[in-house]
Amino acid sequence: MNLLNFIVRRLLLMVLVLFGVLCIVFIIANVIPADPIGALLGGNAPPEVVDEYKKKLGLDKPLAERFVSYLLGVLRGDLGVSFRTNRPVLEDIKKFFPATMELAIAATILSVILGIWLGVASAVNRNKGIDHFARVFSILGVSMPVFWTGLLLLLIFYYKLDILPGPGRLDIFLTPPKRITGSIVIDSLLTGNWEALKNGLLHLIMPAFVLGYSATASIARITRASMLDVLRQEYITTARSKGLEERKVVRNHALRNALIPTVTIIGLTFGSLLEGAVLTETVFSWPGLGRYITNGYLVLDYPAVMGGTLYIAFIYSLVNLIVDIIYAFLDPRMRV
Amino acid sequence: MKRVLLFILIFALALSLVGAKIPKDTLVIAANTGILITLDPGAVYEVLGAVIVGALYDKLVDFEVVNGTLTPVPELAERWEISEDGKTYTFYLRKGIKFSSGNELTADDVVFSFKRYLLMGKPSSWLLPEIGINKDNMDETIRKIDDYTVQLVFDKPYSPNIVLGILTNSFGGIVDKKEVLKHEVNGDLGEKWLTDHSAGSGPYVLVSWERNQHVILQANENYWKGAPRIKRIIFRDVPETTNQRLMLEKGDVDIAWNLIPQDLEELKSNPDIKIATFPGHGNEYVAVNCGWGPFKDPRVRLAIKYAINYDEIINDVMLGYAIKVQGLVLKGYQCYYPKNPFKQDIEKAKKLLAEAGYPNGFEVELMTTDTDRRKNEAVKIQADLAKIGIKVNVVIMKGSQMYPKYRKQGHQMVLAGWGSDYPDPDNYAKPFADYTVHQLAWRNMWYDDYASLLAKKGGFERDPVKRCQIYEDLTEYWFMNGPFAILYQFVEYFAYRKELKNFEEAFVGYSAKTPDFTKLYKE
Repeated sequence: MNLLNFIVRRLLLMVLVLFGVLCIVFIIANVIPADPIGALLGGNAPPEVVDEYKKKLGLDKPLAERFVSYLLGVLRGDLGVSFRTNRPVLEDIKKFFPATMELAIAATILSVILGIWLGVASAVNRNKGIDHFARVFSILGVSMPVFWTGLLLLLIFYYKLDILPGPGRLDIFLTPPKRITGSIVIDSLLTGNWEALKNGLLHLIMPAFVLGYSATASIARITRASMLDVLRQEYITTARSKGLEERKVVRNHALRNALIPTVTIIGLTFGSLLEGAVLTETVFSWPGLGRYITNGYLVLDYPAVMGGTLYIAFIYSLVNLIVDIIYAFLDPRMRV
Repeated sequence: MKRVLLFILIFALALSLVGAKIPKDTLVIAANTGILITLDPGAVYEVLGAVIVGALYDKLVDFEVVNGTLTPVPELAERWEISEDGKTYTFYLRKGIKFSSGNELTADDVVFSFKRYLLMGKPSSWLLPEIGINKDNMDETIRKIDDYTVQLVFDKPYSPNIVLGILTNSFGGIVDKKEVLKHEVNGDLGEKWLTDHSAGSGPYVLVSWERNQHVILQANENYWKGAPRIKRIIFRDVPETTNQRLMLEKGDVDIAWNLIPQDLEELKSNPDIKIATFPGHGNEYVAVNCGWGPFKDPRVRLAIKYAINYDEIINDVMLGYAIKVQGLVLKGYQCYYPKNPFKQDIEKAKKLLAEAGYPNGFEVELMTTDTDRRKNEAVKIQADLAKIGIKVNVVIMKGSQMYPKYRKQGHQMVLAGWGSDYPDPDNYAKPFADYTVHQLAWRNMWYDDYASLLAKKGGFERDPVKRCQIYEDLTEYWFMNGPFAILYQFVEYFAYRKELKNFEEAFVGYSAKTPDFTKLYKE
């Protein structure tokens, strides 16, 4: 009962949050002093054509009326029609989102594995070589722009060393797997297309690393701090004095407890991975939602920008909700 | 640690592929395909979209570069006649041309294609109405005479180069009426289907367009001019120019579409890469608002033109990838007038300012868009004008913010560009000199009736020699009185692999003329 109550409350809250996001996005998109028609038609179009287009896209109606009709549309699951492509925004999102999701998940997995390993290694070997390395690595991770890291890695691993493929999701001459979920990895697994699986995984390595780099760095720092904290606890001393192997002490006694703050960080970073995908997708020619929103933004395609942003906000709150539910399930103290 | 690194290295090596090289009959182009909206000839208005559409469809007439000048030549129409009064054009179609569907191309398809374009009302839909054919009169103005003869009736006797030039736009691509109507939904004239399918008679057919991934074209083996040697063209989406360059150097693509001059300079040392440049179809200008303060005086406008150092802008900002053209008509166009009267002359500029009553200059706001190039140009102009005492405050904004302001005549000074919609002097004379068309001259409040008269006259003159004389007179007058200082004409540039042959022949005239991919082959 308590848990159910909690979930219902959280769901209601999520609706409220999404409504807030919708309002903000709508206002920002519609009050900035810029003209989508101008962006759409370019500088050469005669003024009469500009007016005609305005009418056609409904931009001549009052703001309040447009807001209400947009809100009603969203409630029906209709995110409007893109000014630019003339296609339903939701249809476009469905097409592009799986690529972003795949990249974000791969980045999360990579950053969790790498981050925890690095954090534990540097805590255990405090102030030794690996710890120093991890420190520099982390500082670079949070301070280097995604754009630059991406280009640098491409230059080294694709252009110079030739051990990883260049931009894109698959080699151009490779037959892609049949689209089922939209994720290359899952689709090629489902259809048994091993060539595409191998190629798809290779194409994922660099963008996932770049996208997850700053997350890796923060996970490593948090894990290190919390690990150091735990290693000072008395029960660790007890374990050691029982004569347990150090490796077992670290893995079975310390790590499990040290990971609690790390889990919080992972939940939070997933959202930033979705938004960080915009730059990574551009550098790696990744056909995801980030690029869709950017392209829409460049011509002030409001329906596309609003729809895409709203959708990401929705996924983000959904992920947070799931994380919270898992917490609540695990730890009754969280259900307050 | 070492073990892990070793493992990663072995893993990577084991997985790594020897990059599959591009087959000889395939052309891979790295381009930013994110800008593509549609591949429907009746709707497309983006340059890259027009390039692809140009390979899928044929037009009644096309352009060819003859002695350096873009000249209309027959394509689907083997010849045409212009009536005495200069308003009616009769096009005689080639017989036996087949669409990729196997249907024969006839006058019905031509009439359908033009009417369809007018009815759809897309961003390019003002081009044909500009010369008097619109959706209200189209039943009388677009006529089928017989299966192989079509007549177009314009409202005024425009210069033929204007009419034919407008017809070479993407909307002039003839679609297969039967095939398109087969895919019509809710009376959309096949628009939804044609967005990512093709129904043309051109040298290629569209295989697939995966948005933000690639566009694949396949050779039309029954093409009426003969099957192309390149059997497959792939436009790969590579939005980042640095990546385009890396992939080109590595041989993963044959052509890099969106490089910047810095890339080209560095690629010059690579023996595998060739660079091609062509005169572009647009120019960059600084304009002053003649309705604002000091700019009401033509001497002040002239002073600005003498204060700018054009060579430094071309060589330092554009690294030489620009052509010094100060006149109204672009290089490569009919009636190009190769006179460039302005070069930096600070003394003269100061004198003009003093005569106009501004010996100590004044303060002015210059607006421009937020690209690096524009910012650099604006800073240069700021420095140049400071030399004659004019204090320029540069205001950078998004194009979508600047153009509405510009359209409302709300600026003092602007740095912007103009691109051709059809490669004819008229496409520059009207916007830059005729305020009655409500374009650039009007935006800058240059309400000059003499210039307007000449620009109009040039648009109707059918004798080429007399026509060029009109534009010459107009240009001379406009140099001295107009509100514009043309900084340069754009240059189009590409980098491509040396295996690719005949590139210059295939791409000459770009982008007024879409590339003729049938001319390309690989060695």
